[in-house]
Amino acid sequence: MEYVLKNGLVYDPANEINGEKMDIFVKDGKIVESLPDDVKVIDVTDKVVMPAGVDPHAHVAGPKLVVGRLYRPEDSRRGVSQKTKVERAEAGFSIPCCPTTGYRYSRMGYGTVCEAAMPAMEAKHTHEEIATIRNIDVNPLTLFGNNWFVMEYARENRIEDLAAYIAAFLRISKGYGVKIVNPCGSEAWGWGKNVHGYDDKAPYFDVTSRQVVLALAKANEMLGLPHSIHIHPNDLGHPGNYPTTIDTLDSIKEITKSTKKAAKTRNQTVHTTHLQFHSYGGNSWKDADSAADKVAKFVNKTDYMTCDIGQVTFDETTTMTADAPMEYDLFKISGLKWANKDIECETAAGIIPCIYSPKTPVATLQWAIGLELFLLIDDPWKVCLTTDHPNAGPFIRYPRIISWLMSAPRRMEMIENGEVHKWSHKRTGLAGLEREYDFYDIATITRAAPAKVHGFTDRGALTPGYNADIAVYGLNPNDFDPSRNPEEVERAFSWANLTIKDGQILCKDGDLVATKKPHDIWCDVKGWEEEEARICNEIMPFFTQYYSIKWETYQVYDHYLSDPIAVQALAK
Amino acid sequence: MTYEPPVTDYDYIVENCTCAFCGCNCDDLDFLVKNGHVVAVRHACRLGASKVMEDLDQRIMVPMVRNEEGVLTEVSWDEALDTAAKYIAESIRPVFYGWSETSTECMKEGLELGEYIGAVLDNQATICHGPSLQAMQNAGYPIQTLGEVKNRADVIVYSGSNAMNSHPRHLARWAAFPRGYFRQRGRFDRTVITMDPKFSDTAKCSDMWVGFEQNGDYGFYNAIRAVIKGKKLQSESVSGIPAEDIYEIVETMKNAEFGTLFFGLGLTHTLGKQRNIDIAIKMIQDLNAMSKWGLTPMRGHFNVNGFNIFMAFETGWAFGVDFCRGYGRYMLGETNTIDLLVREEPDCFLVIAADPGAHFPNGANQHLANIPVIQIDIHWGPSTELADVVLPGSFISVECGGTSYRMDGVPIWMKKAIDKPETCRDDEWIVREIKERVFKLREEPNVAPKYVPNPGLGLLEKGD
Amino acid sequence: MKIITFNQKKTSKIALEFDEIVPNTVMDWTKENWDAYQVPIGNSRFPITDFFDIEIEGEADSPSQVKMVLNGDYGRVKYIGFRMTDGEIEVNSNADLHAGAEMSGGLVTVHGNVEAHAGREMSGGKLEIMGNTKEFTGASYIGEWRGMTGGEIIVHGNAGKQCGECLTGGKIHVLGDCDILAGIHMTKGTIEIDGNVNRWPGGQMKNGNIIIHGKVGRLLEGFVEQDIVTDPEVDGVTYPGRYIEYKGDIALNGKGTLLIDAEKNRDRLSTWIEEDDEYNAIRVYRNQ
Repeated sequence: MEYVLKNGLVYDPANEINGEKMDIFVKDGKIVESLPDDVKVIDVTDKVVMPAGVDPHAHVAGPKLVVGRLYRPEDSRRGVSQKTKVERAEAGFSIPCCPTTGYRYSRMGYGTVCEAAMPAMEAKHTHEEIATIRNIDVNPLTLFGNNWFVMEYARENRIEDLAAYIAAFLRISKGYGVKIVNPCGSEAWGWGKNVHGYDDKAPYFDVTSRQVVLALAKANEMLGLPHSIHIHPNDLGHPGNYPTTIDTLDSIKEITKSTKKAAKTRNQTVHTTHLQFHSYGGNSWKDADSAADKVAKFVNKTDYMTCDIGQVTFDETTTMTADAPMEYDLFKISGLKWANKDIECETAAGIIPCIYSPKTPVATLQWAIGLELFLLIDDPWKVCLTTDHPNAGPFIRYPRIISWLMSAPRRMEMIENGEVHKWSHKRTGLAGLEREYDFYDIATITRAAPAKVHGFTDRGALTPGYNADIAVYGLNPNDFDPSRNPEEVERAFSWANLTIKDGQILCKDGDLVATKKPHDIWCDVKGWEEEEARICNEIMPFFTQYYSIKWETYQVYDHYLSDPIAVQALAK
Repeated sequence: MTYEPPVTDYDYIVENCTCAFCGCNCDDLDFLVKNGHVVAVRHACRLGASKVMEDLDQRIMVPMVRNEEGVLTEVSWDEALDTAAKYIAESIRPVFYGWSETSTECMKEGLELGEYIGAVLDNQATICHGPSLQAMQNAGYPIQTLGEVKNRADVIVYSGSNAMNSHPRHLARWAAFPRGYFRQRGRFDRTVITMDPKFSDTAKCSDMWVGFEQNGDYGFYNAIRAVIKGKKLQSESVSGIPAEDIYEIVETMKNAEFGTLFFGLGLTHTLGKQRNIDIAIKMIQDLNAMSKWGLTPMRGHFNVNGFNIFMAFETGWAFGVDFCRGYGRYMLGETNTIDLLVREEPDCFLVIAADPGAHFPNGANQHLANIPVIQIDIHWGPSTELADVVLPGSFISVECGGTSYRMDGVPIWMKKAIDKPETCRDDEWIVREIKERVFKLREEPNVAPKYVPNPGLGLLEKGD
Repeated sequence: MKIITFNQKKTSKIALEFDEIVPNTVMDWTKENWDAYQVPIGNSRFPITDFFDIEIEGEADSPSQVKMVLNGDYGRVKYIGFRMTDGEIEVNSNADLHAGAEMSGGLVTVHGNVEAHAGREMSGGKLEIMGNTKEFTGASYIGEWRGMTGGEIIVHGNAGKQCGECLTGGKIHVLGDCDILAGIHMTKGTIEIDGNVNRWPGGQMKNGNIIIHGKVGRLLEGFVEQDIVTDPEVDGVTYPGRYIEYKGDIALNGKGTLLIDAEKNRDRLSTWIEEDDEYNAIRVYRNQ
């Protein structure tokens, strides 16, 4: 199929195109330089054209999602709609069922979503869910931060063994990268405890989270994986946690970035996720305040890190994270139903319904800190737009966040008319921030930067040769002031005029017109096969003794992957 | 038990096969195969082994349709599938029940058909652990994988479950006996408590037996919760258990380093039903303030949990999902198989890998006798006597591969070991064939002309 | 006032669903609208006129002036008055599941028995049931911890298990008996029961009031006897007589109030008497 998107106003930060009127040519699912004049024309005159969105961190598939769906039927009921000729019936608000997740991302013009936490033991389950999602590609990150083998290697500083282990387990679980969640803390949760701070030790394993993070970072660079380590630091959501955050990020400065080909796309050696939850000052919720300025200052002066925010959106949502002890703390506060899922030798997860009300001080503080971080971090290439779906809010609120970022008057209005609690300006500096994002910045934080952070070389830009993943929004930036029309911004970004995935038009004027199978993206490390085999042999006695399933049933076989894309990392 | 000499006469061994019996999904079985048949099974328990070793006497070998005289007669696959598809296409309140003994791959086909035609999809949870699911929907779900129990647990509680009989390898592989990473002495490092009105086989090998009276579960756990909260009991005994014993139990539970509660149908089917589990879950949550506790329902069929998980990620609800209006609905007492059958609503019933004839209450079976019943199964059973179309499937994990989910939610790939009988087909193939035939026979009912966003989402209007 | 009268012509074993036809949606409907309307049954829809003769009298400017009178047998009609905001529905027979569910205003009267889930998650209005009803009267949707938040349910007969589950407001008055676990998980609101209660009223209640004028079966350990009170006043209503007051459920540090009639439960006033077949002795028969 060949066609041209004509006369759109293109925002493609990766190619430094800022609102230029130009044509985009699509052939056989790829973007091409040019096409003959007689090809089909799709007129997008004076509309915003961007690469399709890339979500760098969300929870859309996997065992803890399903626990959430199993135990929150009332949430499923909130988003119900009838099936159409194209779509299956929808269900779910904060944790929509898999097909619904894909449809809603597609309506917003998204094309790729990173599933941020996949336990290797239940990777088959995650891939089964991914295969059920429609219209978006998913790259799942495998959890390593509380893995018993990893902790052993980190304690003994066996970086090469660790690298081999990562290579092997990315293959076995068909994962894309290394995710670290509350390192050592989720293991401590095995005994109902937690770690507090970067230099706390996991019980029994005698290893600190600093050792684990640094070892994983070194191993990650040794392999030269396309994505850096993806870290959720310790102490999430606790007032006064920002020193831990800065400690963690500061320690990464000793890591040298890999020079291998797959690692070339990215600039960073660490990606910090949902930074908002890690930027609190004070000692308790009574005197908590924003430390966004300090954290942002740190981000601004470092060049080896990127982050996403985890913006709170004021919804009733479901929080779910592999940081299980934190979820139990939340349960003690809210008393709502608490679910937990510990996975042997690997990780844990906690799930709890959560109501972020603009009338409550804590939720408002979190909301304001998130926006502060967006506005105080100077380089939009370092910051990505997320809500850590569904933790701080469902992903369908991205357009609303965009409208807040593009409109300082709207933010002031919320503060001034009492729409949000007074902590928003009493305890943060949000009210003093005048900065507004423009379309170019928005394209950066929702497309170009996340794609670069994840090391993608086939999406996130409109470069010829890239996948034809394109979104068109019905706004004309030349005669439209987003600062004064936040509602219009939200509407436009909620309902893409066109969503194109691999050249195929999936969504027209906010309605799905077609659905397609997702690509399951994983990272295939090449060149370490011998070490992988050696390490698998080495761990086998332990595995057989202490895991509850057999090695043969543990692995993810190829038939679980839907249209896989194996991103190759030549590690040698 | 008499001594049986080991089987030595076999052609080859297939290792690491998965047992397709209970929710333990033991994946360490070795099948001994001779002439294309499993003649012996190593490592399996009695229940699993006897199921895996083919019982060809009762095997349904050919597709059958009930003729005008009411006798099941052999027909071709085409005719049987066409008849089944016709019944489904003509129905206005179809129910697709079963699924717990087949693979998620097959469920996928069934769900597509169910969503297309507007059926109710339900599984055996509706008659076994449904109350557990309802309770976790009300109270939460602190669960852990069974390896966690093996490596860490020092206190194990079985409540309303006789694992020694229902899940024979459960104690041996995970709960009581194995040597775990932090429990190197195995059984000696663990305290096992059985809470059951009956002095069951599990109670016999426990350290403590709490024989509370029948239907006293809710009151008993309420008292435990009160004691955990530091309150004093007002009565001398609760549900037949002396107060001092309750204090002792709570003390043991509070001092556990890692405890796990396994509960079975003894808890889900007494007077308080889902509320017994509800309060047990709350008890576990209370205990986590001072120790580490988790729980796991002792699921019966090997993939009953798989259906719940599968439905949750595909549709948003776990079981009893009604698609008749073109969107999913899940409502206790309205969209569950037994309720529907007792109300005599369904006009077509597809049963796959289940035996309602043996398990359903009489009132429900009476209605089944009056409506077209399509059965997909491998064995002849009471349901076959009710069935109007019988389609012989194949045995997952022996004759056909597939995915299943263990009681703790761990996915397991069950590989194929031997070939199926020539006249039988894979479940997945059968359901897909029926689906495609229904697609041809009837236009999809209850389709909306276009997507209308639910106001509950709080989205802005789309505009033009 | 606009009166819409349904006279039944034919019944269906597969339940009809009335969630789309409540006073606020059918206010302006003329005969043509009704002739064109297809009512959902199972996975299909059939003309509503196949099942009912529908007569329309009078005019209405607002839903509050609409009254629907349902004559015939509605034992297989689900969702009567579902999400209605105003107006009136009178059912001159039994009604099926979800009668008055999620209503926020208006009045639903059923002159017969009602199946389970009557008045589920009501937030306003009034539901009056002249006969018996089954489980989950005024309860929450499964998983939801905020149940009925307002309005009033009056049951002249008996109610089933878990009446007023997760009640967070409003009032439920059962003139007959109640089965086990009335007011389980409730956090606010009032349940008044004139008859006997089987077992465990108020299990895991956090707050709210339960007043029982009849005899109560087994009570939970979590309820602590406070005092005998005379003519107690709850939410501005005085209940004449002497009551034993309990607080609970202390198993979760709850602060709910349970008042049970002192005369009829005299045995509780002395030391606790454990009767083995107490449950059978006062078992509530609510079968219709």
